[in-house]
Order: sequence, then structure tokens, then C-alpha cells
Amino acid sequence: MPKIAKLWNKLANPKNIPRLFAVILGLLLIVGFIIPMGLNTDQIYIRPAPQSQMDAGLAIAPYDRGGEVLVSPGVTEAQYPENSKNLGWINSYMTPIAELLKALSPYFGTSICASPGGLIDEILYYTRGFDTILESSILMMAFIIASWLAINFTIDRKEERDIKEDVKRAIASSDRIANEVEESNRKAREKQAKKEFR
Amino acid sequence: MLIEDLGGNILGTIPLGDIVLYLNPLHLFLFVTILLFTALISISRTETQVEAMFGSLDENKVAVGLKEFKQRRFLAIICGIATAGAMITGDLFNFTLFMALIGIVNIGIVSAVKQVDVLNSAYQYGLIAMMCGLPLFGGAAIILAATGTLSLFELASIPANPMMIFGALVMLVGVAGESGIAPFFASKAEMFRTPGSPFILIIHLSSLFIIVRFVEILLTIL
Repeated sequence: MPKIAKLWNKLANPKNIPRLFAVILGLLLIVGFIIPMGLNTDQIYIRPAPQSQMDAGLAIAPYDRGGEVLVSPGVTEAQYPENSKNLGWINSYMTPIAELLKALSPYFGTSICASPGGLIDEILYYTRGFDTILESSILMMAFIIASWLAINFTIDRKEERDIKEDVKRAIASSDRIANEVEESNRKAREKQAKKEFR
Repeated sequence: MLIEDLGGNILGTIPLGDIVLYLNPLHLFLFVTILLFTALISISRTETQVEAMFGSLDENKVAVGLKEFKQRRFLAIICGIATAGAMITGDLFNFTLFMALIGIVNIGIVSAVKQVDVLNSAYQYGLIAMMCGLPLFGGAAIILAATGTLSLFELASIPANPMMIFGALVMLVGVAGESGIAPFFASKAEMFRTPGSPFILIIHLSSLFIIVRFVEILLTIL
């Protein structure tokens, strides 16, 4: 079965893998069009109906969750209420600047400078706080890797000798790859020529 | 399927708000194993590869520098802790976050090697890891939209519907790509071909553990 052998060889080449993955993912997502999709309205992290808060004229729409800071809790739900007993008490907390902007503009909630306590923060930082820790640690790892590489391989390269050695090594290895490519090209051409000769 | 059917009786939970980590014999075993391995590699030194030179009796030693060694060890320990976390997490979205963390740390471990082939395959793996963001988080979001919850305890008792199965399949593609199982193994397998054995091995080990855990999650929620 030469065809299957060829397929296996193609799979062993790292260059083909992202393409294969993209094709498989694309096909699966196309299948998604025929799957019946519908939002289950019984959500724990509920949102108000679209535009309802806008029509009610609330300044921090669509993030208004009601409540008064440390006086009465706002509307926020949790999967396990017994683990977050003080849920909702700081729902409506806003910084003095945010309070000022809210007084000035009726569209404060939709502006770029709005991050009212409300929905986002209470869910992110209280009930799902561990997610926030993980998200920021992913970012931190990315920055650690990038900055370590930047410091050690682009900025802090005072020793000429090291650079020369690395360049030599890189050239040798890319030469080798180029030779291999040339070799395989030559072979392919020979094969082609043989076929045509027949 | 109920959680007890797969992993044994629940020995306890670690509540962190809505994210409840749970311990049962299977997960505890995986958790302890990966932590033991992490402890082992945190006190070990890297190997040095010895290559025979062609056409002479000399040999070529490929060693890892001290700075690179420290960086790799740090990232390998983070990778081990992230894998351990993914073993006992009881929340779907939390699992995808652990998976993303493992993916980025895997690239970091091999990011400083000087072999062109290894860097090339790490680049290809990075492309897959970037693409995996969509199926991983999209799958979790589809399951959240279909059921209204992300907790594995709740999901275990909700009967599966087509939308949930589709979400789980999308997540499966994401996990398969990010952990590099067949048919996406080539880019990740080529990343290992470099000195620095114990730290390189955690790339492999974390994928194995993640796959085991994800299969268990799939059986639980579907």
C-alpha cells in the first residue's frame, strides 16, 4: 500500500500538521451549521435581556445589577452560593471618577472607560476568582518567555564569539536542510524523467 | 455518567467559589504522580547528548548552558503544577485554562534551543496552539450555552443533547491539537529532539495526563 505509506510520511512532517489541524477544525465547524443551537435560558451567569436596561434609561446599562454598596446585595447568582456568602454586596461599587462620569453621561455603561463593579467584576473576581488567577498566569508565562528570549538572544549579546558560533551553527544547519531539499528535488526530477521516458 | 462511577468515591472537595476542585482516588493518583515527577525534575540536572562525529573518532557534546537550564527548569515546574491542577479541577472552563497554560509553557521550554529543526517544529506547534484557542474556549462556551453551567458536578447530571455533544467534540479537537496526539503528533514529537531530558519529558508527560483526564471529563458530561 504505497499510498498509505506516503500519507504516513506526510503526517511525520511538522510543516503539514497545522494545515491538517486547520482542515479538520474547519470541517468540524462546518458540521456545526447543521447542529440545532439554542441558548438554554436557565443560565447561572444571567444577563438582562438585550436593550431592556437601555430602554429603562439606566446610566450604567447594560451592566446595572442593582443593589447598594454594603447596604443591600444586588442580583448576582453563583453555582454554589454556600461558597460565596457575601455575593452581591459590592455589586454597584464604582470609583469616584466613574460616579462623576455616570452623572455626566447617560451612556457611561457602553463607553470604553466603564468597568463598573457590577456583573463582570463580581463574577470574575469573587465566584470565579481562580479563573482570573489562571488567566493572568498564562499571560505572565507568555511575557516571561518572550522577555527571557529578548534579553538573552537579542539585547544581551556582548560576546562576539558566541554570536559568531551561533551564526555558524545556524548556517551549517540550514545548509544541511537546503542540501536535503536539493537532493530530494533531484530525485523527484529523475523519477519524473523516467516516467516521461517510458 | 456520575462522577463516582468513573473515579471512585469522592474523598473531599476544595471549594474556591464556583470552582470546586474535587478529589477522588483516580484524580488523586494522577495528581500525586505528576507532582512527584515535578519534584524529581526540580532537583535533577539535564543530560548531555554525545554525538559521534562522522569520518573521525571525535565526539560532539551538546550541553545545555546554565542560564537556559534555569529557565527550562522553572518552566518545567510550572508545567507540572498546571498539569496537576488540571487533574483535580472540577470546572470545565478551568480545565481549558490549565490546558492553555500547559501549551504556552511547552513552547517556552524549547524556545531557547539552537537546533533549527527543533525550533521549526516548535513554531509549527505554536501555530496549532494558537488555533486551539478557538476550539478549546469555544467548546466550553457552547457547553455553557447549552446547559447553563460549567461545573462538572452539575454537568454530570444533565442529559446530553446534540449541542452539548458538538461542544464536547469541538473541545476534543482543541485538546487533541494542543496535547499533540495522533494525527497531530509530528510537530510535538520533533520538539523533543534536543538535549535537556527531564525537562523535555514533561512536555510529553503533561500531554498523556491531560488526555486521560479529558477522556474522563467527556465520559462524565456526555
